[in-house]
Amino acid sequence: MMSIVLAETASDPGFSAIHAWAMATAAVIAASCGLVGTLLVVRRMSLLGDAIGHAVLPGIVVAVLAGGRAGGPLVFLGAVVAALVTVGLTRVVRAAGGLAEDAAAGVVFTSLFALGMVLVGFAPPGTHIDAACVLHGELAFLPFDTVPVAGVDVPRAFLVGAIVLLGLVVSVLTTWKLQVFTAFDPAGARVAGVPVGLITMGLLAATAVATVASFDAAGAVLVVAMLVAPAAAAELLTRRLHWMALLAMLLGVAGGCLGYLAAWRCNTSAAGMIAVVLGVEYAVAAVIAPGDGVIMRLVGRARLSWRVVCEDILAALWRAEEAVAAPGGRHVSAGRLPAAWWLATSGRIERVDGGWRLSSRGRREAENVVRSHRLWEAWLGRHADVPIDHLHPPAEWVEHHLGSAMRERLQADMDARTADPHGREIPPEA
Amino acid sequence: MTWGDLSHNTLVVAVGVAAVGFASGVVGSLCVLRKRALAGDAAAHATLVGVAGAFLVTGRRDLVTLLVGAVVAACAGLGVLVLVRRLTRTRDDAATAIVIGVSFGAGIALISGLPAWGYPGSAGLEQFLLGHTAALTRHDAMLLAMIAVGAIAVVAAILKEATLVAFDESFASATGWPVWVIDAIVVGLVAVMVVVGLPAVGAVLVTALVVIPPVAARLWTDRVGTLVVVSGVIGLVAAVSGVAVSASQSRLATGPLVVLTASMLFAVSLVIGPRRGVVARRLAGLQRSDRRGLVDEPGGHDA
Amino acid sequence: MTEPRAGAPCVELHDVTVAYGRRPVVWNVDLTIDSACLFGIIGPNGAGKSTLVKAALGLVPLVGGEVTFFGRPLSQVRSRVGYVPQRESVDWDFPVNVTDVVLMGTYGRLGWFRRPGDRERRLARECLDRVGLADVATRQIGKLSGGQQQRVFLARALAQQADVYFLDEPMAGVDVRSQERIFRVLDELKAEGRLVVVVHHDLRTAAEWFDRVALVDRRLVASGSTAETLTPDNLRQTYAGHIDVLDDVGRAIAARERTP
Repeated sequence: MMSIVLAETASDPGFSAIHAWAMATAAVIAASCGLVGTLLVVRRMSLLGDAIGHAVLPGIVVAVLAGGRAGGPLVFLGAVVAALVTVGLTRVVRAAGGLAEDAAAGVVFTSLFALGMVLVGFAPPGTHIDAACVLHGELAFLPFDTVPVAGVDVPRAFLVGAIVLLGLVVSVLTTWKLQVFTAFDPAGARVAGVPVGLITMGLLAATAVATVASFDAAGAVLVVAMLVAPAAAAELLTRRLHWMALLAMLLGVAGGCLGYLAAWRCNTSAAGMIAVVLGVEYAVAAVIAPGDGVIMRLVGRARLSWRVVCEDILAALWRAEEAVAAPGGRHVSAGRLPAAWWLATSGRIERVDGGWRLSSRGRREAENVVRSHRLWEAWLGRHADVPIDHLHPPAEWVEHHLGSAMRERLQADMDARTADPHGREIPPEA
Repeated sequence: MTWGDLSHNTLVVAVGVAAVGFASGVVGSLCVLRKRALAGDAAAHATLVGVAGAFLVTGRRDLVTLLVGAVVAACAGLGVLVLVRRLTRTRDDAATAIVIGVSFGAGIALISGLPAWGYPGSAGLEQFLLGHTAALTRHDAMLLAMIAVGAIAVVAAILKEATLVAFDESFASATGWPVWVIDAIVVGLVAVMVVVGLPAVGAVLVTALVVIPPVAARLWTDRVGTLVVVSGVIGLVAAVSGVAVSASQSRLATGPLVVLTASMLFAVSLVIGPRRGVVARRLAGLQRSDRRGLVDEPGGHDA
Repeated sequence: MTEPRAGAPCVELHDVTVAYGRRPVVWNVDLTIDSACLFGIIGPNGAGKSTLVKAALGLVPLVGGEVTFFGRPLSQVRSRVGYVPQRESVDWDFPVNVTDVVLMGTYGRLGWFRRPGDRERRLARECLDRVGLADVATRQIGKLSGGQQQRVFLARALAQQADVYFLDEPMAGVDVRSQERIFRVLDELKAEGRLVVVVHHDLRTAAEWFDRVALVDRRLVASGSTAETLTPDNLRQTYAGHIDVLDDVGRAIAARERTP
C-alpha cells in the first residue's frame, strides 16, 4: 500500500516537497522524543516511556470519539490524562497488591492499551484511526493533511510537531537546573525544597505530549525507540547532561531523516526503518564510545597487558642486577621479545653481548616498579595479618597500579622503613 | 459468526487456546515470582522479526515455520539484552526499551515491505501483531496445545528449584544450585510461551497474558503451589472468553479482548481477593483494631 | 553427618582477595579455623565482613586466593556447609509459609526434581521446635516479627544438617528474646562438634559470645582466641586503621583494569 503511495507521488510534481515535509516531520518529533527521552533515561524511567507510549491510546481514542482531531488540543489533553492515570493506577495497584513496580506497571499499561484497541474496534468508520496506524503509524500519509501558513501549505503533523518541540525545549530550558538536580539526587533535591513530585509529573506529561506528537507518524510501540535509543546512545558518548540532551536530539533528527530515506529506498514503513536506524546508531555508539566503548575497552585491556609485560621485564632486569652486581647482559624469554624490542627502541634497555641491560632511564622506571612491589609487601606485612610467604602474589598484581602519590602515602604509613618483609631494601623513589 | 458455525474445528481451537492460556499463567507465575515480570516483553516484540524473517527465508507461511522463526528471534532479542548489559553501561531498563522499540521497528519494516518486494501472500503476517485465532487450523491448535502441555510439565518438574531461586537466590547459590541454569530454564519457558501466545494474543500484548494472571492470583493465595494453579486458571478463562468474544465480534482482534478479560479478572481479584484484596484488608484492619492490646502486632517485636 | 574429619582444618582461606565489580574490597585474607567453635568475624560497618563470607561460599567471585573446607573445594563438600543470609536479602512478602522455608534447607540433599517427603517434614518440624517456632509453622513469612524471621532462617540452616555454619549478621534488628534463643542454638551446635562462623559488628557482645574471632577491616587485622585478639591495639587498627589507602589503591585498579 505504501508502494502505491510512493508510485503515485513519484509522478507528482510535488514529489520532493512531500518527501522533504515528511522528513522534516520525522526530524521534529524525533528531536522532541530525544529531549524527553534524555530525562527518562537518566532518571531510570525508560520503561515508563514504553508504558506511556501504550497507555495514551485510550486517552487518544476517547478524545477522537469525542470529536477531537489528530494533533488537536483535545487529543493532547486525553493523552496527558491517560499518562497520569497510568502512573496513578500503577501506584494504587502496587500498594494494594504489594507488587513489584514492573509487575504493577505491566498490568496497568497492557490493560489500558487493550482497552484502547477495543475502543478503536468500536470507532465509527471515517474517524481516521485504525489498528495498524495505532501500532506503527504512517508517516507517508501525513504530508497530505495540510494547513496554510503564510501562503504555504504546511503539513499539520509538522506544525504540531514543531510547536511541541518548541514548547518542550522552552519548558526544559526554564527548569533545567531543577531537572539536573532531580535527576542526579532526587532525595537531596526534595530536602532542598525542589518540587520533585511536580517535576516528575511534568516529565510524565511531557512524555505523553511527545508521544502524541509522534503517534500518527510512529504509533504506540515504536515511540519507545525514539524516546530511549538516541538518549541511551548519547549517554554512552558524553557524561554531561546538557551535551547528552543536545546529542540525543541530534541523533534523533539524524535517525528520523536517514530512517525515512532508507524506508523510501526499501519501499517499506518509515517508522519501522527509523527505529532500526536509531538502533544502529545506538550500536555504533556502544562500539566507538570514548572511555568504555567496546573498542576503547579492548584497547585499554591490550595496553594494560602490554604495560604489565614491559614493567615485568624492567623489574626482572633490575632484580637480576641487584642480585649480582656484574654488568653483563641478561636473558629475556622468547615470548617477551616483542616487548623487549619495544623497550630497547624507546631507550629503556639496551643490548649487550647477547643479552639485555637496563639503560639509566629504564633503571629509574624499574626502580619505581620494584619500589611499588616492595612497598606493598611491607604495607601488607605491617597493617594486615598476612603470612610472609603470601605477600608476593598480591604485590605482583598491585605493583603495576601504584602511582608516585600512592607510593608516597604507603611510605608515610610505615615509619620511614626502608626494607620489605623479606629484608630486601625498598629502592627510593626515582 | 453464529453459534451454528461452532464446528468441531472451533472446539479444537478453543481447547488449544485454553491450554495456551493456562500454560501462560503457570509460566508467568515463575517469572513474576522471580521479579522479572517484563522479561518476556523484549522477547515478545522481537518475535515479529522472526515471523517475517522466517517467511522471507523459506517462503512458507505455515504456523510451524513462522513460530520457529519467532523462537529464534525471541532468543536473539534476549541475547542482545545480555550483550548490552555486559558490554555497555546502559542501564537495564533502557536496554530493554531499546530492544523492544528497535526489534519491533525491524519487524514492522519487514512486514510492511513484503508486498512491495513481491510477496503477495504476506498480509496474514499482520495478524501476529494483535492475534487472530480465526485463522488457526485444527493442526495449529493441537500443536499449540501440545507445546503448552510441555511447558506446564517443565514447570511442574522444576517448581521446587524455581521457587527456591526466586525466594532466596544467595541461599540457593550457597547450597550449590546452579542459579543461572534455573533462570535460563524460566526465561526459556517465557520465550516459548510468548511465541505460543502469538497467534492468540499477538506480539504487542502477549506479555500481559504472562504478567496479569500471576499478579491477580497473588491476591488469592499465600502459597506458591496454589498461586501457580490459580494463575493458570485465570489465564485459561481470559484466553477462552477473549477468543469467544472475538469470534462473535469479527471486527475486533483477539489479543486486546483476551487481555481486557484478564484485566477484569485482576480488578475483581483486587477488590475481593481473600489474601490482599481491598475488602480483605479492610476486614483485617477492623479485626485488628478489635483485638488490639490482646495480640502482638505482626511485624513488631514478639513479647 | 558427623563423619570423622581427616585432620584437615574446617575452613581455610588462602590469600583471598574479593572485588565488587573491578574494585577490590577485601584484601589478602589468610585465615584458618581448624576446630569446632563459635567463631566471630568482627569489624566496623562496610569492612567487607559479609563480602568475605559470601566469597568463601562462592557467592562473590574471588580475584585471588582459594577457599577450602575440610581440605577440599566447596563444590565437593556443599552438603556440609550451612548458610544463614542477611534477613534483608529476601522479599518477605513471598508466597511461602514458615514450613516451606525450612524445607528449603533439605533441597540440597534432595537434589533435582525430588520433592520433600515425610522425613523432610519431620525434620523441618524438629528444627522449628529447636528455634521455638513450632506454633507458627503454617504462617505466611511476612506475618512474623523480625526476630521470628531470623529464627526461620536459622531453622532452615539446621535442616541443612551441616558441619560448618555461616551466619551473616544474625543478631541485626532482632529482639532480645530471639537473640538469646539464637545464641542458645548456636551454642548447642558447637557442643555437637560443629563450627559456627558468625558475622557480627557489636564488640560488646562479641567478647562474651565467641571462642575465637577475626578482626576484619578490608583486610585481616588479627585472628585467634577472643581474649588474645580483642586487644586495644588490634581494635584501634580495625576501627581506625589505614584503610583509606586500601580504598584508593582499589579505585586506582578499578579505573585501570577495565575488565568486567
